[in-house]
Amino acid sequence: MNEKSLFKSAMVTLVIVVGVVLGYELYLRNQGVSVDYDDGPPLWADKRAQIYGPTDKTIVFIGSSRIKYDLDRGTWRRLTTAEPVQLAMEGTCPRPVLTDLANDPNFKGKLVIDVTEGLFFNMAPPFMETANENIKYYYDRTPAQRVSFEINKLLESKFVFLDKDFLSTNARLEALQIPSRPGVFMMPTFPMNFKRNTFGRQAYMTDRFVVNEAERNQVKAIWGFFAKMAMSAPPMPPAAFDAIFKSVKADIDKIKARGGQVVFVRTPSSGVYLQGENMGFPREKFWNRLLAETQCPGIHFMDYPAMAHFDCPELSHLKKADAKLFTKEFFRLLSQKPGFTFLQNTNPKKL
Amino acid sequence: MVFNSYTFVVFFIVILFLHNLPLSWRVKKINLLAASYIFYAAWNPPFILLLWLSTVVDFFVGKALYTQENPHKKKLLLVISLIGNLGMLCFFKYGTFLLDNFVSLCHLVGFNFHPATPNIILPAGISFYTFTTLCYTIDMYKKRSEPVKSMLDFSLFVTFFPHLVAGPIVRPPQLVPQFESPRVASRKQMMDGLLLLTLGLFMKVVLADSMLSDTADTVFDAHDALPMLDAWIGVFAFSGQIFLDFAGYSTCAIGVALCLGFVLPQNFNYPYAAIGFSDFWRRWHITLSSWLRDYLYIPLGGNRHGKTRTYFALMMTMLLGGLWHGANWTFVAWGGLHGIYLWVEKYYKDRKNIDNPKGIIDENSQWVGFFYAFLTFMLVNVTWVFFRSDTFGKAWRLLCAMSGFASGDKALLTTLAILKVAIIIPLILLCHWVMRNTKVLDVAHKISWVWLSLVWSFLLLAIIFAQESGSSFIYFQF
Repeated sequence: MNEKSLFKSAMVTLVIVVGVVLGYELYLRNQGVSVDYDDGPPLWADKRAQIYGPTDKTIVFIGSSRIKYDLDRGTWRRLTTAEPVQLAMEGTCPRPVLTDLANDPNFKGKLVIDVTEGLFFNMAPPFMETANENIKYYYDRTPAQRVSFEINKLLESKFVFLDKDFLSTNARLEALQIPSRPGVFMMPTFPMNFKRNTFGRQAYMTDRFVVNEAERNQVKAIWGFFAKMAMSAPPMPPAAFDAIFKSVKADIDKIKARGGQVVFVRTPSSGVYLQGENMGFPREKFWNRLLAETQCPGIHFMDYPAMAHFDCPELSHLKKADAKLFTKEFFRLLSQKPGFTFLQNTNPKKL
Repeated sequence: MVFNSYTFVVFFIVILFLHNLPLSWRVKKINLLAASYIFYAAWNPPFILLLWLSTVVDFFVGKALYTQENPHKKKLLLVISLIGNLGMLCFFKYGTFLLDNFVSLCHLVGFNFHPATPNIILPAGISFYTFTTLCYTIDMYKKRSEPVKSMLDFSLFVTFFPHLVAGPIVRPPQLVPQFESPRVASRKQMMDGLLLLTLGLFMKVVLADSMLSDTADTVFDAHDALPMLDAWIGVFAFSGQIFLDFAGYSTCAIGVALCLGFVLPQNFNYPYAAIGFSDFWRRWHITLSSWLRDYLYIPLGGNRHGKTRTYFALMMTMLLGGLWHGANWTFVAWGGLHGIYLWVEKYYKDRKNIDNPKGIIDENSQWVGFFYAFLTFMLVNVTWVFFRSDTFGKAWRLLCAMSGFASGDKALLTTLAILKVAIIIPLILLCHWVMRNTKVLDVAHKISWVWLSLVWSFLLLAIIFAQESGSSFIYFQF
């Protein structure tokens, strides 16, 4: 092959690659797939860097997946000019993030902590892994990684096929769910319609998911799988819970000592999931004790009729329409809590 | 900056554009130097000072070494250079390791010493650019080559971004002459370079990161005893990962340089088709092996001072070569094991009077040759256990599981993970065996343009759909 023909191969390659990528992109769009942002460490670190905004313009949210689904950014923005910085992580205990914020002398702002008891009061390392990885990435990220993030943001906003969780080669292979030997842990895979992520780190389930019983049942089965795993684990000794309360109180005291304000929120769950949570984590022993020991206000969805009636499609997270209603009511309640009353004067329409 | 990142794609397009503008050669070299500093600073800007220090000191010391006639002053200059280069390497790379060992020694003799734990960050690629500058000053001391005349050329030789962070480790005569006359890639070089860059990224992004790294991590991070199958699959996965990661980087580096009109030395030559361990080291990390041969093995006596000295030089070279890879005794054990393999092989070859692996294939059938290559590969896998494990305890547990002496019964790896390794590793072995006496570009130029287009498209599409950009290369930590 001579020099000219290698050039020819390069040109044909270019045509094939562009053709296949664009064809695939069009196919996915035709299937109703929407833009999704990779919720990995770079996106989390981008949000983590935003916590230093003016304390009356920035509310930081930490927690697990529920607050990501339940806090609707669009509704929030219509109610206030204060920026919601979403640092919650799916399937993750938020305590490492709380500790990170507590140990950051520059963080003096307003913090909302979403409590999903099974994760918040968990000490198993796998539930801290994502949080620790994200925190490490935030502190270690290089200038090159920041530039890559900006380019990636641009590409992800244009191409729906860029979806690492569901459309990468590995995700496609994992979705085959090839049976493994007995005893091998296989991470269950969520349906794509259940987990979409915006650039502001709001998660949402699509309308297709809400009406698709099979997919809803698939996710319910996943919750059942994790519940079974949790029940088979040895029970945590009371001393371990005491240590958790102590460490949370110590972290919150540090934030308060710098002038920060903290509110806890228990976001909705429903059906057997809620029953299981009430049995495993009785309110008086966990939620009430958390508020009492930390001396922080709290918003429990069961205490407010406007929030208590939600029926979660897969028992644990709100659909988008309900997230809007929840956000509206949550904002109203939050803006009455000590340290957050300034929110009443931040309505964009009034300003 | 890593090759497998969007930042690099933009950076590379800008550099290619600037390099092909009708500017003077000096301006183009300044552009390349500035780009190289940006490439390095994009990781951690302050460490660029180390790079400058190393460059400036070695440029002037090298010049003085070459012209100095007084042997005492000459030795003094060499010592200054060695202390400067190795001192920096020792502090950043081995500081914590040395302190830990000193503390252990203190405890052993009953002295209770608890120093504060130092928080030393390892500058990326320090082992590589230290060896690059070190060989220059040693060459000047021995007058093996002429000193580089211009500071610009020397800085570019040390800093040229394709080789800066993880090699290939270049010698002055390989690269400096290329900076002396204007260079722009021909169309052939550009196409060859782009093909190599694609291949390197495929090896790194698709195979190493996407297909093998998780399996290797899962097995090497396991706390419980593993079944024999899981242990072997994990070690095979790492064996593939380390090759694809590092050879992928080298292939990218060579491709990137070629796109700019520069030729870097080959760093890998299908090492898993090696027949025996001396052949393996002629094929694995070739520029490091030849560096260690010329600047360590031969000065230690090489093979010219009797057999005992040869065996000693061989072992010392492998032990220090192991330590170069990382500040941990497990790396020394890895090097030591390779040293033992080389001893056994040398002893066997001396007895049978075999000169090179080609002799084995010529004398026997291809199947026998393949058997020897497979045997070599399997023994190399045993050494990777020490290379990847961070403690001897973990290495021992894994070796016990591999041997079946103390294997556990709790299966760890999914069928998918096993399948990935079971497909990729035999393909690598087959590919290495078929390609062992040729080069990828020769094959690319031989096959029809239609086939090349299809293969090239597959590589590119696999990279795009893997969606794995951004992870750093394993050898950055060395």
